[in-house]
Amino acid sequence: MNTEEQIEIIIAKYLSKKSNTKEKEILFAWLNVSEENKKHFLHIQNIWHVSNPAFKSEDIDTDKAYTRILRNMNNQKSNVPKKESKMLVWWQKVAAILLIPILAFTIYQNTKGLLPHELTAYQEITSPLGMKSEVTLPDGSIVWLNSGSKLKYPLQFNSKKREVYLSGEAYFEVQSDKSHPFIVSTQNLSVVATGTIFNVEAYYNDTISAVTLLEGKVGLDLNKNVSKNLLPNQRFIYNTKTNKAFIEKTDANSWCKWKDGILAFRNEPLEDVFKRIGRNYNVDILIKDKKVAKQMYRATFEGESLDEILHLLKLSAPIKYKRIAREQLENYKFKKEIIEVYSSK
Amino acid sequence: MKEENYLLSELKKSNEVAFTMLFRSYYTDLVQFAGHILYDKNRCEDIVQNIFLKIWSERETLSIETSLKSFLLKSVQNACLDEIRHQQVIRTHESYSESVFEIDEMIDTENYVLFSDLNEHVNLAISKLPATYREAFELNRFRGLKYREIAEKLQVSERTVEVRIGKALNLLRMYLKEYLISILVLFLLKILLK
Repeated sequence: MNTEEQIEIIIAKYLSKKSNTKEKEILFAWLNVSEENKKHFLHIQNIWHVSNPAFKSEDIDTDKAYTRILRNMNNQKSNVPKKESKMLVWWQKVAAILLIPILAFTIYQNTKGLLPHELTAYQEITSPLGMKSEVTLPDGSIVWLNSGSKLKYPLQFNSKKREVYLSGEAYFEVQSDKSHPFIVSTQNLSVVATGTIFNVEAYYNDTISAVTLLEGKVGLDLNKNVSKNLLPNQRFIYNTKTNKAFIEKTDANSWCKWKDGILAFRNEPLEDVFKRIGRNYNVDILIKDKKVAKQMYRATFEGESLDEILHLLKLSAPIKYKRIAREQLENYKFKKEIIEVYSSK
Repeated sequence: MKEENYLLSELKKSNEVAFTMLFRSYYTDLVQFAGHILYDKNRCEDIVQNIFLKIWSERETLSIETSLKSFLLKSVQNACLDEIRHQQVIRTHESYSESVFEIDEMIDTENYVLFSDLNEHVNLAISKLPATYREAFELNRFRGLKYREIAEKLQVSERTVEVRIGKALNLLRMYLKEYLISILVLFLLKILLK
């Protein structure tokens, strides 16, 4: 055994508190030899500590901690004793009821600095590529986030509306509340709903954005110009390149199967099929033959692995494919796996 | 780094969302870090929360010379050591007087790897595995299935499972080369001290 291995064993013993006095002497002497030795030790100690966390992750409640410091932050800010600020708020309300808007506005302006500040803290949930997530919003609405999607929502919905921001695809089951419309804002369009079930496809920079309605009623705002309404089993499709939109009748359920882990394709061009598969499994699928891209395809996949799906596609569509090994760039970064698809004809 | 500088400049302007993001991204890692100095979770959480409260109340004059991570780690470490000195908590490891205390106070804060960083690296490494290797690896290491059971489930031979897992481990060793020294030593010790 050479010195390097020897010292590493001593370091490990020291870190697990199992070293004797002699070993400690050797360690300290070695540490004093050079800065490099010190750094090496520190790095091992670092990884050691981090791979043996002091507490279980589940035992650290960040949300609770955040709420706690929020309370303290609020106390820090208001210099006015609580009684006074309550009166002002009441007066504002009275003024508003008595229809004295100007007065109410003036009071509001003057008290803005004194009233406890309303914090709008946002929560952002990201569903990484290849995974799906389910989120329950503060009002009880449930959202399923598809692969590679992000949802941003306030920890507390504001008094007038419930607004969330979506990039990607999500399925919403919104709690009914007519007085607080639920708004989903995406890159190109906004969906306004009160109590209803719908699916939104709005991947950043995708050509197509779509909204499919299962139950209830939703209003769609397209760049604040166009406004449309959807009925159940209707699908609104917006082409961001041509700026054209249209509504078609459809079986709404088929567009939401992804949340149950089912990849369903109903007469879609292969390029869309491969795009969705790529997203789901976090690989880049490149179609090398143009005519393959436009071929229409219909299939349902449930729980198969990427290998199995590619295999099935090869059997049922006129394609063949080549998997390219992952390329390693510097610093442990890797490019996504690439699959090239060719026409087999 | 750029994002952090942006968050810090927003913090100076009293942007609460920026503060929230900073809090959420560092909180658990800092509590875990404190946990290796002070063993009481509640005290660790109090210390980290107070540091963030202080950051908020001094946001306008806050000036960080090194990096935010460095600053936070040093702040937490100092607060924990203060707590120890104040409480005269008996350290559970044998003391070798000054030297031990010195080593424990040494941290390379600039290059410190946080729990989430390591976790991310490990998860990233696993996600980079080709699907068949990853599948076999996860079934064996995370679900605890034996090779025979995996072979049955995937409808392949046991030998294939063996090969796939072996390949997965080789790739992971390569991806995690940097962290491996410590992990290796960890395992080595487990064998030695059986």
